[in-house]
Amino acid sequence: MGKESLDNIDAKLSEMLTNSMHIYDVSMNCLLGDTNLDTVRDDLYATDKAINELHREVRREMIVHSAVNSRNLDIPLLLSYMTMSKDIERIGDYCKNLFEIAETGNTFTKGENLDSYIELRNDIGKLIVYLQSCLNLEDETKIHDLITLGSSMSTDLDDKITALLENKETIEYPVSTTLFYRYLKRIVSHIVNASTALIMPTDQIDYLDE
Amino acid sequence: MNLKSLKNLSFAIFFLYFFLVSIKLLEKGIKTLGAEYTDQLFESVSNPFAGLLVGILCTVLVQSSSVTTATIVGLVGSGVLSLEYAIPMVMGANIGTTVTNTLVSFGHVRREQEFKRAFAASTMHDFFNLIVVILLFPLDLYTGFITKLAEDGTEFILATGFTATKPNSPIKAGIKWGSNNILDGLSSIPYVNNLSENSYRVYAVLLIVVAIGFIFLSLRNVVSNMKSLMLNQIEFGLDKALAKGGGLFAILIGILITFSVQSSSITTSILVPIVGSGILSIENAFPITLGANIGTTITAVLASFAVDDPAGLTIALHHVFFNLMGVAIIYPFKAIRNIPVNLAKSLSNITAKRRYIAILYVLITFLLLPLLGVVLFN
Repeated sequence: MGKESLDNIDAKLSEMLTNSMHIYDVSMNCLLGDTNLDTVRDDLYATDKAINELHREVRREMIVHSAVNSRNLDIPLLLSYMTMSKDIERIGDYCKNLFEIAETGNTFTKGENLDSYIELRNDIGKLIVYLQSCLNLEDETKIHDLITLGSSMSTDLDDKITALLENKETIEYPVSTTLFYRYLKRIVSHIVNASTALIMPTDQIDYLDE
Repeated sequence: MNLKSLKNLSFAIFFLYFFLVSIKLLEKGIKTLGAEYTDQLFESVSNPFAGLLVGILCTVLVQSSSVTTATIVGLVGSGVLSLEYAIPMVMGANIGTTVTNTLVSFGHVRREQEFKRAFAASTMHDFFNLIVVILLFPLDLYTGFITKLAEDGTEFILATGFTATKPNSPIKAGIKWGSNNILDGLSSIPYVNNLSENSYRVYAVLLIVVAIGFIFLSLRNVVSNMKSLMLNQIEFGLDKALAKGGGLFAILIGILITFSVQSSSITTSILVPIVGSGILSIENAFPITLGANIGTTITAVLASFAVDDPAGLTIALHHVFFNLMGVAIIYPFKAIRNIPVNLAKSLSNITAKRRYIAILYVLITFLLLPLLGVVLFN
């Protein structure tokens, strides 16, 4: 079967993740640092568009691959590519949503939680890079570790959201902070979902809890 | 190159050789049959329209224009089928080959929009070939200008001393060696040997059937091995064609893919699901189809290397010039280019609503009309 063309799809997924990482960094720096939003806005939206275009390219290449290799098709693999590309594309979308929080003027540059936010930013950033390194499927245990780490991070973020919804914490921007955690939780969930697509049976992809 | 690719390449070369040997066997079988019988046999295609329809029918039945054209080259090369009779048959093969991708489009029948696009993608090839035959067939019939061009081309190639065309060329010697060995092998079977000595006509028919079977088998294997070998290049080419849209580049991609796999049906059938899914427009798929129409002519040229009579090369070149001219007439002008595309779209609009019409279309166009025509013209 056309392995090189599948390698090409892998390369495109990796490029999507590189772009996602970039858009994530930019958005988080706008929220947690002193980045001037006007200087990064165009680049951020252009990167998001590039991710979307790569997503479409992955789909197109899968159709061409299916048409050319119709007799020896690895359907589960193509389905996993389909779901992974969608998850990675969503990471970009949520990073854009993070930037939109910064656009409201509600930044988290001051306040006692800044250090924990920065730590969270770094951890999730590492998770994106980790996912990128797992794409070649060389080490399945790495993917399992990623899923475990991501799931635990997701639970922590859920707890933070619940605490805010139950007014257990008094903070400066409760709505923005809830959305901030919510978007980060979605980013982590999409990273975990993309990871499950790498190793889990087709019917189990995205259904880690069940 | 990995081991699998090396295996595919070796098999492709072997079966290509076997294909040329099969053409030689066919030539031998026809010569054994004798002029008296072959004249009778080909009387049915003495009417050019009947020849055209026979070409369509034969190609539909074997699902390969390459088998039909290669067989015709063998027949012409052995001197039993005149160019005059062979030309309409090759044109018919051009039309008949389009049935394969039309059948492929039925795989999309469950989804209306998808089927509409897929059916249009396949039938634009039908309409293109029909239009070209309508334009060039009568013109060539009365003026013989493509035939003259092919004859001049043959003379030119012979004058250049191109090795494959020389009667004593190593290629021809190799092919002769292979066919002689098969003939010896057949003669070692007592029943066949008895036939060859006492009932030469039955022996000749047996040879012809075996040769056509071998042509079919060898081409099938050439195509499947070349396809396996070229999978990545095909995908790469199609990805590039998708990125660039239509145009001359797409024609070139169509030529290269078909040339490398020796089958226009492979190229056009791959396009059907791609257009069906909507990622390639019918307009942009059209030039790839035209490229496939040009690329497929190489098989007949290869087959002509196996036969002694230069007329074999002439019919092969006629096929090349005919298909090149078709593209040259239809493609350059948007208004003309849109005719087959729009006809295909109109038909697919109807068939998407009433899908039984698609089945009727295939049965009537590729079976009933040619059959009826053959009966009427005889």
